Amino acid sequence: MPGPQRRRKYHRGDTHLKKGWRTKRRKKDLDQIDEDLKPKNADILLNQPVDLDLPGSGQHYCLHCAYFVDESTMQKHFTSKVHKRRMKALEDEPYSIEESERAAGMGSYIPPKKRKITTQETKKMEDEDESPS
Amino acid sequence: MDACYFCSSHIYPGHGIQFVRNDCKIFKFCRSKCHKNFKRKRNPRKAKWTKAFRKGSGKELAVDPAFEFEKRRNVPVKYDRELWKQTVEAMKTIEQIKQRRQNLHHRNRLKKGKELEKEQNRKEVERNIALIKSPAAGLRQMEARLVEEIEESDKEEPMAEEV
Repeated sequence: MPGPQRRRKYHRGDTHLKKGWRTKRRKKDLDQIDEDLKPKNADILLNQPVDLDLPGSGQHYCLHCAYFVDESTMQKHFTSKVHKRRMKALEDEPYSIEESERAAGMGSYIPPKKRKITTQETKKMEDEDESPS
Repeated sequence: MDACYFCSSHIYPGHGIQFVRNDCKIFKFCRSKCHKNFKRKRNPRKAKWTKAFRKGSGKELAVDPAFEFEKRRNVPVKYDRELWKQTVEAMKTIEQIKQRRQNLHHRNRLKKGKELEKEQNRKEVERNIALIKSPAAGLRQMEARLVEEIEESDKEEPMAEEV
């Protein structure tokens, strides 16, 4: 082909993307979040002790997504596309190692169950009660 | 032999890589393609080249009692040559049966396409019939019939006048 061929500088400015794909600080997988959604675990995660190292001291946690700085940002997040997309992804039962084995021929295929995922209820009222006292 | 977490293919000795998550779950991958896709948090059910997708969407035989033989039993069995021989024989026959059923499933799946193709061809012929048969083909016969009809009516008319 005529003209100069581009061989270099294809991956400049990729670092932030590649960091997301590293396993060093890997974000939670869908099956881990699924585990968190169980009432027992959810209770612990929603009522965390104050930890100054975490964003918002760990007091504003969206079960499906992440920690938030304060209540208003979390409320805004609940209406956002990111959150809705995550809810949609969690609707199906998460993929597992067992399913991969079933697909490989160890057992018949079992279709994933559909669940109903709802955003956690806000604990606004409790906070307001606590803060004045 | 292990199965790849992403594409469910065999992982042969000396191949692939495994990832141990911080909750002790072990994910095994057959090649870097699968590992990379896992790192990007892709869903194997949505990647069209994985077994999970192909079984989920009915491309391959997915539900069959022949799949129930292979299992992780976790029970040590004392070596017995006779048993060993029988097992190997059984594996061969099961593989044959599986293959046959898979082929049948495949053929049945493709039947639909053949029907659709036939329907499509029929429609195409109907639409473009003018290319095969000229629209003026029946004209001469039509003319003859018209002339006959006119003659007949001519005959009838005088009769009517008489009455």
